[in-house]
Amino acid sequence: MTEVYAIGIGMTKFGKHPDRTVADLGTEAVLEAIRDADLDPRAIQAAYCGHVFQGMVAGQRVLAQTGLAGIPLTNVEDACSSGAVAVREAALAIRAGEHDVVLAWGMEHLTGRFRGAFTPAEDDLEAALGLTMPAIYAMRARRHMEEFGTTRRQLALVSVKNKRNASLNPLSQFQTPVTAEEVIASRPIADPLCLYDCSPVSDGAAAVILCSDRLARKVTTRRGIRLAAAALRTGEVESGLTSMAFEPLTRKTAEAAYEQAGLGPEEIDLAEVHDCFSIAEILRVEGLGLFPVGEYPARLERGEADIGGVLPVNPSGGLLGKGHPLGATGVAQVVELVRQLRGEAGERQVAGARVGLAHCRGGKAAGIEGAACTVNILAA
Amino acid sequence: MTEVAEAGRSGVVPIHPGVFESEAQGEPRLVGTHCRGCGAHFFPRRAVCARCLSSEVEVVPLSPAGTLHTYTVVYQSTPEFPTPYILAYVDLPEGVRLLAPLAGVPVDQVQIGMPLRLRVEPVRTDPEGRTILGYRAYAAGGAA
Repeated sequence: MTEVYAIGIGMTKFGKHPDRTVADLGTEAVLEAIRDADLDPRAIQAAYCGHVFQGMVAGQRVLAQTGLAGIPLTNVEDACSSGAVAVREAALAIRAGEHDVVLAWGMEHLTGRFRGAFTPAEDDLEAALGLTMPAIYAMRARRHMEEFGTTRRQLALVSVKNKRNASLNPLSQFQTPVTAEEVIASRPIADPLCLYDCSPVSDGAAAVILCSDRLARKVTTRRGIRLAAAALRTGEVESGLTSMAFEPLTRKTAEAAYEQAGLGPEEIDLAEVHDCFSIAEILRVEGLGLFPVGEYPARLERGEADIGGVLPVNPSGGLLGKGHPLGATGVAQVVELVRQLRGEAGERQVAGARVGLAHCRGGKAAGIEGAACTVNILAA
Repeated sequence: MTEVAEAGRSGVVPIHPGVFESEAQGEPRLVGTHCRGCGAHFFPRRAVCARCLSSEVEVVPLSPAGTLHTYTVVYQSTPEFPTPYILAYVDLPEGVRLLAPLAGVPVDQVQIGMPLRLRVEPVRTDPEGRTILGYRAYAAGGAA
């Protein structure tokens, strides 16, 4: 089967960019990825662009700026997984033999569009009942505390770790570490979660160029990082009363990815997971099988998920520290893994990293566990 | 039963299409889907059974009694929802878990596992001044 390699990456600084357009951010990331791949842009045959709230054909505005107008482009929406799904679609196009060099990028401009808490789609039943995204995770957090004895301080330590990692990443929205006390004392959002337990409103873009093994050596001198798996699942209709302290959707997506990659969770050297809230990182790494169910908070407290720990989680700073421009997030995770597996991650480099996992999960609708979940695995 | 739709009662709209039905002259009740094939229940309603894929499904009233699986106090929301308010996931005996605002219980008395009772009632008015018919959970036995 055709193997797929990541040969170029680009990413803007994540944060507040009130004076820039989404197309401007997307253009910066795409042009950087082309330069990074040391590639003639005419070699790019197709593109996929992930975004959530940017309106019709936002991707085409970036093609027009980057000399790529004319190639097939698909705009992709799958809530917070949009960018990761764009990467998967690009990989599928290569595996299918349709194209050899495909661009995937994600972008989002949220400043000024949103204040306060996100909700599911306006016409969703649970949104009409007052459900917000922080509220869902707050309720999951309470179950985790009830079932496994997870403490408020342990929740806060996820934010502490990720904001500390973010301070080592020049492209992160947050550049200053916080203490657990500061997290717990921040403004309450949905009990037990406070402001610093929540990912911020962010603007930004990230891009990756994928290439078939057949052409990789012909179009670039860059050493490619292999995309070993790109799995996507949707949330199943809930039937029966399983605990909200565990995510079957994350587990099933991970199993599909491990099977594609021909490896297991014990072979993962670092993970970028969808920490939209502090509790979310706990649910994700336990769902992915990277840590035993119920044990992550204590292991985190012992430093096992730190850079330099047993299994570094979110060395980039994650969504909590790096920022969360929805459509860009899944691509930015892949960008981080490529940097880490190339050994180019600077102060936050995970020593000897050979296999990295990226997990995204987005959206909610009444009666389903979650909307879209992706697991991408990259191998040096 | 007939669906409580927009024109069902003067000036009253359901919080979401298809969640209530009422007998002639009766009070509206929360309804879900029951699969005649495998017995599973779903809320909100599904066109086919999500468990066994049978299309032999029927609309049935849901039990108003349940227990609290988890809850939160929401402090930041969208403008139509004044804060703070309590949300809970309620487990019904049919094996259905549904989200409901929790009312009439002081925060320090809310507990996982506590028995709850769902009540269909007006929850707010929409921008056109119509009453929105929704539902809330109350502590079972209390807050008559």
